[in-house]
Amino acid sequence: MEKLSYDAIVIGGGLAGLMAAHEIAVSGYKVAVISKVFPTRSHSSSAEGGIAAYIEGNSDPNDNPDYMTYDTIKGGDFLVDQDAAELLSQKSGEIVRIMESWGTLFNRQPDGRVAVRYFGGQTYPRTRFVGDKTGMALLHTLFQRVSGLDIDFYNEWFALDLIRDDKRVVGVVAMEMKSMTPVFFKARAIVMATGGMGMLYAHSTNAYINTGDGYAMALRAGAALKDPEFVQFHPTALYPSDILISEAARGEGAILINNKGERFMARYAPRKLDLAPRDITSRAIITEIREGRGFPGGYVGLDLRHLGEDYIKERLALAYEAAKNFAGVDATQEPIPVRPAQHYYMGGIDVDITGQNPDLVGLFAAGEAACVSVHGANRLGSNSLLETLVFGRETGRAVAKFLSEHKEEDSNSLDKEAEKVVDDAYKFVKSESGVHFGEILNKLRNVMWEKVGIFRDEDGMKDALSQIIELRKMTSSMYVLDKSTTYNTEFFNALELRNMLDLAIVIARTALERKESRGAHYRTDYPERDDTNWLKHTIAYLKGETVEITYKPVRITRWKPEPRVY
Amino acid sequence: MSEEEKEIVVKIKRFSKEKGSWWQEYKLKVDRFTQMTEVLRRIKTEQDPTLAYRASCHMAVCGSCGMKINGEPRLACKTLALDMVKKYGKNEIAIEPMDFFPVIKDLIVDWTDFYNRMFKVKPRLYPSKEVLEGKAEHRLKPEDQRELWKFEQCIWCGLCVSACPSVKNDPEFLGPAAHAKGYRFLADPRDTIFDERLKILIDSAWRCTYCYQCFNVCPRDIEPVTTIKKTRAYTKFLSEKTPVALTGEKHADSIAKSIEETGKIEEAKVYISTYGLLTAITDMIYAMQNGKLKYALVTQKKVKNMEQIRKIIG
Ligand SMILES: Cc1cc2nc3c(=O)[nH]c(=O)nc-3n(C[C@H](O)[C@H](O)[C@H](O)COP(=O)(O)OP(=O)(O)OC[C@H]3O[C@@H](n4cnc5c(N)ncnc54)[C@H](O)[C@@H]3O)c2cc1C
Ligand code: SF4
Ligand code: SF4
Ligand code: FES
Repeated sequence: MEKLSYDAIVIGGGLAGLMAAHEIAVSGYKVAVISKVFPTRSHSSSAEGGIAAYIEGNSDPNDNPDYMTYDTIKGGDFLVDQDAAELLSQKSGEIVRIMESWGTLFNRQPDGRVAVRYFGGQTYPRTRFVGDKTGMALLHTLFQRVSGLDIDFYNEWFALDLIRDDKRVVGVVAMEMKSMTPVFFKARAIVMATGGMGMLYAHSTNAYINTGDGYAMALRAGAALKDPEFVQFHPTALYPSDILISEAARGEGAILINNKGERFMARYAPRKLDLAPRDITSRAIITEIREGRGFPGGYVGLDLRHLGEDYIKERLALAYEAAKNFAGVDATQEPIPVRPAQHYYMGGIDVDITGQNPDLVGLFAAGEAACVSVHGANRLGSNSLLETLVFGRETGRAVAKFLSEHKEEDSNSLDKEAEKVVDDAYKFVKSESGVHFGEILNKLRNVMWEKVGIFRDEDGMKDALSQIIELRKMTSSMYVLDKSTTYNTEFFNALELRNMLDLAIVIARTALERKESRGAHYRTDYPERDDTNWLKHTIAYLKGETVEITYKPVRITRWKPEPRVY
Repeated sequence: MSEEEKEIVVKIKRFSKEKGSWWQEYKLKVDRFTQMTEVLRRIKTEQDPTLAYRASCHMAVCGSCGMKINGEPRLACKTLALDMVKKYGKNEIAIEPMDFFPVIKDLIVDWTDFYNRMFKVKPRLYPSKEVLEGKAEHRLKPEDQRELWKFEQCIWCGLCVSACPSVKNDPEFLGPAAHAKGYRFLADPRDTIFDERLKILIDSAWRCTYCYQCFNVCPRDIEPVTTIKKTRAYTKFLSEKTPVALTGEKHADSIAKSIEETGKIEEAKVYISTYGLLTAITDMIYAMQNGKLKYALVTQKKVKNMEQIRKIIG
């Protein structure tokens, strides 16, 4: 197998990966970015609403980074590491300034300074935005910036697995999707910036490519995931494409209705009604659908009609456009079909505030792939884009420092390991007959949605766990019909499914274990938050079929846990 | 909100190195909300896992899913299956890879040439040293932000390039997407390499035939041709006179050639050679096609087009 050597390899070309690569390259190290899609097609491009930032001299005069930290901690239901949240807030202004100086066309105030808007859970408005395409604007700016640097890009290359020796990572095996050629990329440091995992759920606002590859690769290499049970759901995703309809719609007065035309939120949150928090609203919608008050296909209506055509087109342009383009629905004439969908993954590869993983020397992670943890049990809107850039940069810098301290060690003895990775990948899809990935995939996505989703309880999760184990067994006889060696996307879809199953088992197992409700993790059998027993991070390893769970304290600096009421 | 399902037939033009090219048919039920990316995903997971295509965001922001649907260059995710059925009056939908780019497998095409074009225009801001070092801050007028943002929203989907006749004829022409990108930085008051950019863009800008194909197919309403026009208006700022005059001549030729190749009339050629007035011609073609002609290359529209030209020529 061909071998290529770098100082560092970044897996993932979204915002987190590109920022990390930028820092490593400008420090003078040889770095490559491996991405299974052309970087601008990464999921980061989908982010709409904005990026949170406190900017000195350009924020509410009463605001300061401490309020931002507090908002983040409270939003995360106190499972947030407070030193990480402090760093996030303190560096936020600088990050937005950097992106601005590289050309991001942030919306402006009349005096030419970067504009600001309110987002849920903020004491003062501090979300910076580029229309309703903030992620796309940031991603293009950053990609264009790093494309001018000395960085090697391996686009449409699929990372299969990490290579490690006793205690450190020494590289990664990846395959060019076009030619199916495998290459062993050797490096002293690896940054996992592989993004989220929405495709594990039957309904998700995420891109099709978000299959949790990075989490699974880390698990198979022996690294832990932190807080894997925490999955965020958004109440209003467009039916059936699951494109996000922003909370702004309900903020402007849209109401949710069932098939009887009832404003059903009156039953679930009599005072807050349609503006109840995301988790309550999601649960209400699911209940309506399950009890037969949804529309055929399984959705409810988001009614804007009473707001009037002019108002809708002016204030809710995005919701209006999305409904029109992707569901053929004119929101001035009929309600927008919506249902909850998976939206974000708070859990991730266990790392500290420098992005370093404690299990394997040389392993780093950033962005949605990582759990630093700044989001705790529930992420605040517009904090995720910020995290990708702030911690992408911190991680890149830590990698440069690490490289200056760790000289090259011999890893030639590991060539066999690299060969084995490729053999393994082929092996499990080599059968001449059996099931196709699609069959297993659809079952997995449904069981995760039904039993490890918005509502969770012991019986359901036990059942889910045994089904996932069964599906994992089925993959050993998975069968790839396409035998070609050019863009065999069926083969890669099968590999993605293997990754999804490795992650699914960890999510189901750790969710079963956490016997309380906190943030996005809601147990009907334990509906209360329980700080006495559960104010701690879950740390999970995957050993074959077994998920080994330990716990780690939450780092608390200045903010004592208090009830999360708004 | 009734959910009537309708069975459609999807005919996909397949291609593989080994087997060459063939058409394959699939049948599936869709409702009025079903996007074409979902049609493809369901074919792949439920019927034929060997089908290869690209898709990522399913919300028209990543630029992955460009293809020809019933002959039109479109984003699959931004196309609803039943809209196509309604528009063409039959429940059969034909899907092919985008034109111009070499096909590698099924709907997957080779992007190398496209990316090279994009990188040629130095697609990044070159801010002043003071700003880069954090010693100064950019201020940008809200109206400048709005103007630039229109052109910044290009998602590198390549549809405009696949539809552009000049790109096919003229290897020196950078193509619509690269021009949109180039102009977005050329016009940015925060940028410091204006002269260099102008040099890269001007000659190429005169090679566009103003046929408005790029304008018609762009899923983000970028109007690449508008950026080309605006770039041409900068010719006067060019410090050292490059052979723009010469280019003007080539430009006339390429208009003639393009008209010829798209099956359109001698009269235009005559007109060009008789009057030789570049601006007049381009304006004429612009007036003729702007808004009136959705897809100029769709065959049945040719005749109408000719009549319009005759009328204009008189
Ligand atoms: C609809 C929507 C709207 C959102 N809006 C906002 C918002 O307004 N504000 C906000 O703060 N957050 C928002 N978010 C969240 C935010 O967009 C994401 O969390 C963030 O963009 C993740 O960035 P990333 O760099 O970690 O990963 P990504 O951008 O997902 O990049 C992952 C990269 O990893 C690569 N990769 C993955 N697996 C492999 C493999 N096996 N081999 C090679 N490469 C691989 C991919 O190719 C890709 O380049 C939104 C999310 C959604 C779904
Ligand atoms: S207007 Fe110019 S750039 Fe656009 S398609 Fe026609 S020739 Fe190409
Ligand atoms: S200009 Fe429009 S059609 Fe062309 S690549 Fe950009 S977004 Fe696509
Ligand atoms: S899938 Fe992203 S543009 Fe269509």
